[in-house]
Amino acid sequence: MNVRNRWILLLAAPMAVALTLAAACGGTSSTDKTATAAAGGAGTTPTSTQTGGLPADAAPASQQKITMQSTEPQFYDPHRSNFEQDIAVERMLFRGLYNLTDDGSGGVKVVPGDAAGPPTISGNVYTVKLKSGLKWSDGKALTAADYVYGFQRECDPTVASPYQYVLGAGLGDLKGCDELFNNKDATKTQALKDALGVKALDASTLEFTLNRPVATFETIWSLWATFPSRQDVIQKFGDKWTDPGNIVVNGPFTMSELVPKDHVTLKPNPEWSGQKPAIQQLTIKFIDDLSAALKSFQTGELQMTAIQPTDVKVVKGDPSLSSELVIDPTARITAIEMQLKDPALAKFDVRLALSRAIDRKTLVDVVFDGVYTPATYWVVKGLKGFQGNSAFDSTIGFDKAAAQAAMASAGYPNGQGFPTLKLTLTDTPSNRNLADFLIKQWKDNLGITVTPDFVDGKTRSQRFNSGNFQLFPGGWQLDYPDIENPLVGLFDTGGGNNKYNCSDPAIDAAFKEATNATTEAARIAAYQKVETLVVTKLCGVAPIYQNAVPYLVNAKVGGVVPNGTIDASGPGTYCVECWYVKK
Amino acid sequence: MDPMAAYALRRLLWAVPVLWAVATITFFLMHAVPGGPFTQDKALPPAVNDALNRRYHLDKPVWEQYGLYLWDSVHGDLGLSFQGDRSVTEIIRNTFFVTAQLGVLGFLVAVVIGMTLGTMSALNHNGPLDYVGVAFSTIGASVPSFIMGAFLVIFFAVDLGWFKTLGWGGPRHLTGLLDPFAWDWRRMVLPVVAISTLPTAFIARITRASVLEVLNQDYIRTARAKGLAEVRVVLRHTIKNAMIPVLTLMGPIFANLVAGSFIIETMFSIPGLGRELVNAVIRRDYAMIMGTTLFFTLIITLANLAVDLAYAVVDPRIRYR
Repeated sequence: MNVRNRWILLLAAPMAVALTLAAACGGTSSTDKTATAAAGGAGTTPTSTQTGGLPADAAPASQQKITMQSTEPQFYDPHRSNFEQDIAVERMLFRGLYNLTDDGSGGVKVVPGDAAGPPTISGNVYTVKLKSGLKWSDGKALTAADYVYGFQRECDPTVASPYQYVLGAGLGDLKGCDELFNNKDATKTQALKDALGVKALDASTLEFTLNRPVATFETIWSLWATFPSRQDVIQKFGDKWTDPGNIVVNGPFTMSELVPKDHVTLKPNPEWSGQKPAIQQLTIKFIDDLSAALKSFQTGELQMTAIQPTDVKVVKGDPSLSSELVIDPTARITAIEMQLKDPALAKFDVRLALSRAIDRKTLVDVVFDGVYTPATYWVVKGLKGFQGNSAFDSTIGFDKAAAQAAMASAGYPNGQGFPTLKLTLTDTPSNRNLADFLIKQWKDNLGITVTPDFVDGKTRSQRFNSGNFQLFPGGWQLDYPDIENPLVGLFDTGGGNNKYNCSDPAIDAAFKEATNATTEAARIAAYQKVETLVVTKLCGVAPIYQNAVPYLVNAKVGGVVPNGTIDASGPGTYCVECWYVKK
Repeated sequence: MDPMAAYALRRLLWAVPVLWAVATITFFLMHAVPGGPFTQDKALPPAVNDALNRRYHLDKPVWEQYGLYLWDSVHGDLGLSFQGDRSVTEIIRNTFFVTAQLGVLGFLVAVVIGMTLGTMSALNHNGPLDYVGVAFSTIGASVPSFIMGAFLVIFFAVDLGWFKTLGWGGPRHLTGLLDPFAWDWRRMVLPVVAISTLPTAFIARITRASVLEVLNQDYIRTARAKGLAEVRVVLRHTIKNAMIPVLTLMGPIFANLVAGSFIIETMFSIPGLGRELVNAVIRRDYAMIMGTTLFFTLIITLANLAVDLAYAVVDPRIRYR
């Protein structure tokens, strides 16, 4: 080979690499076009008159643009969603029969959404009238049949909704939903769908048949899993029905652009009959790294973002950023979860010693810069039936002497002879701080050795769900704002989420009392009894703090109404139509 | 057939068993790791878990899943990501297009600056330019990219406001490559500088050492003794011969850069393939793990082949059979 040929080959080699890669990648993408196309009929730019009455301090419509941070949603289909980032966007795109809103005192209340009012109840039959004039984003009327189809999808095993169980036994108890979901014989599917306890009596009347009266009907029927769906659209586009250009929605916004892994852009839905959104363009950037998001907020590229609790100190020290800080408590309690099958942890006194040895206030101040709230309660603040620290501090709260006495009473004075326990955590910087703090507290106050076991998130979850753990800083994030949600299934003998192996006849009896309660007050009182028994007996959990999510909201963004203690998906995402950009 | 072309073809054919071996090892390792795509602290009810497993064919035995995967991938179907049911091929195509832009620009910066700096250092051995070059390459090689990135962001974006930090400024589609309006350089400078610092430092160090070594060779002394102009000595006789060790380094550097950087892509919120691979492993997104691993294997195989072929061009003593 002569020299000239060698140089040609040298040039050809990278070209060959590039061509091979291009072939492997398939060249230009037809899907990309779909993903960036304007949203069909719903993509019409709303006129300024459609924005309705803007607040007096609102900037002109042309400046009503916001870019916010979020983790990337997995799906935009309410019947397939499992994560709060999905649900936050879905509540912008869709609405259900009922809505959740801030009750003004840190909690949440249910208000009618597409429903004209509360249901009419006759035994197990709940009848709901729809508001008049409801439309989908393509201009077609929204009817009761769209809701019926939505419920059929939710209970359909081929859709495989992760939240089907909220309509199943013990919760929503919609007649026939579990039977349809558990069916594996395709020939029976249609008959089971027809037998489902939801009927359209006429275009604007829905009738639900439940297996029992459900006190939380309106709350559960406000969840994303109960949102309506358009049968014609889903049948036409299949799994691609949520792509821009295909998606048809009934909420305040519609999707105008989606670039997977990067961002989704929403525009006002011109057919939305509720409060007209002021924001004309809402871009949601998918950013997992909250430190990066904080920098982008500082450069003005983001107007709203969540930040890490560990960044709060820095933000509070910055005169400009501190005025833009919003800390929303979330409906999540973190506890030291304990495996009761473990011989050491089976002893109540050991659990009591471990709980009483933790100085929760110092923990929150030192590890989380005071962002979280120290807690010995399990039912979160904001829920009806909340009992708070005053009910439990004296029993399980920090008290070094009491902790040492309990350890001695368990047969391990000054920790002598106590086995080494393992604390399983996901490997993150803040969890490393948390582990250091807890281990030192137990060492200093009880004289025992606990070793950290850092693993990745999925391994940790797998160990927890298989009961393969001893001490596990975990907790419960509410699915819906009702006192039953953090209790049912977690502490009843054989409960699906009872990974602690908590089994106590008194707790089981209190659960029965709650199920059989005939009044709301009696139901709440019975669940308070469950919480009291669970916490004072440390039946698997020793609560340590209630979580919160700190956000930065640009001073120019107004109308950010707190969600109330229910969801951490973003500041005020439940009323996105309330947001506006100030002058 | 030209022996070199035959050699290249043989190496390309060898990629097939390599890909198969990587696919097999990755597949079984992935399934051996605790936790699956639907594992979460708040366990899904068994009925929901079963329904999801059926939907994604995870209810079948692992051997059957392996067979199905191989069959589908041979037919060009890398499956669906659990993250939104999007096609893995489509995700790789879109994210690699971004990562490749960042990687190629980073590579060009590293090669041009690294080689220039290294050559200048060597020619000015123990002079001021040499000290500057050595200082740069030492700092560049010892400061981790996440520190460098954070410094660049805080100083040049947050404090001075010269650059932006959110997302990639390059085009998203091939057609945009020639569209000047599709490029936003304010979103490109910092990630390119951050990603290229380390390879620039490496190339500068290797170039310096290699040029110095060549400059001490007898034939250079002979060339100078013959009275050849210094420019000709350097360009024709020194640089070309000094490039062999640098070329050795360039293949892995190129492959590494176009494979993306989780840290840089995360720090600048760039929707690239490097970030996706790590996220896929964290989420146990099986099809994405397989797809990205195979894709990276292919890139590295091809990059190594390109370097081997380049040797033959630069060094006439090397022959491939």
